[in-house]
Amino acid sequence: MGYPDRRVEGMTTHETAPENTSENAPANSSAKEYVHEHTPRLAWATHAPEVFKAMIRLDAAARKGLDPVIYELVKIRASQINRCALCLDMHTKDALAAGESVERIIQLSAWEESRHFYTAKEVAAIELTEAVTVLTDGFVPDEVYERAAAHFEEAELTQLIAAITVINAWNRFGVTTRQVPGHYKAGDLK
Amino acid sequence: MTARTTYLDQGVGAAMSALSAAAKQGLGDPALAELVMIRASQINACAFCLDMHAEIALKNGESARRIALLNAWEEAGDLFTARERAALALTEAVTVLTDGFVPDEVYEEAAAHFDEAHLAHLIGLITVINGWNRLMVSRRVEPGARPW
Repeated sequence: MGYPDRRVEGMTTHETAPENTSENAPANSSAKEYVHEHTPRLAWATHAPEVFKAMIRLDAAARKGLDPVIYELVKIRASQINRCALCLDMHTKDALAAGESVERIIQLSAWEESRHFYTAKEVAAIELTEAVTVLTDGFVPDEVYERAAAHFEEAELTQLIAAITVINAWNRFGVTTRQVPGHYKAGDLK
Repeated sequence: MTARTTYLDQGVGAAMSALSAAAKQGLGDPALAELVMIRASQINACAFCLDMHAEIALKNGESARRIALLNAWEEAGDLFTARERAALALTEAVTVLTDGFVPDEVYEEAAAHFDEAHLAHLIGLITVINGWNRLMVSRRVEPGARPW
């Protein structure tokens, strides 16, 4: 099985995932054999259900008062940097379902060269996302913090920092336990 | 250094604390929990977190020597147990995530020392301290200050 994005369409559950037949494979790829899907390292939410519940609660607390469009951009950009496949699957689908454009999602990993796709406020949020995500590269630069502080008032700014922190947390769970992308449907976890 | 904001939504603070408590309790090893939290805070250079967790560790009976050598645990001989070393290696890999995933050998060594439930909580704890590190460093919260 492979190419989960297309295969997942019309699928009802994980368990009934069809094989990659000509029926569910992309139209132009019926002869292609995709790499097999990996299994996760650990079903962490099953083994630590109260931690998972606490994460859901934290996520809800962090998104309060934050522009939902910026929130999804932040989640996608952090997940790109941390290379969390499940998180990318989830947040690109949620963003698209919420009306985000394909172009803005594609350009996000090169936003410095495509600033005109975004508002100045969005750029400031994306920049802060990168600084907080690659924390080990050396703190959060003053100029990055100050640009964000110029676009977000204090309460909204700290919610933004919290949201960046939370997606970094989901990324760590997702990558460390090697969660499998491709099965998420927009809105599943909203 | 210019001050930033020390504001944080009460709901976020409370949810973070609850997450922390859940991970720590499930790990069931307070001494190891502090080592993990100090090591991640060293890597993320979180002054507030280092101050707090070194103090808690000392209060819990951790030795100053182990705290001082934590930064060089790989070269510290048998000062740390194999289980602690496996947890510290996982802490480092999960913390420097942008350096490239979590290597199989690091994950497998941790899985050899922790059963699935304890491993899930250990991953949770590493994730939580990385969260605290981000909340404190981003807002430049000083050691000993009120975090919100």
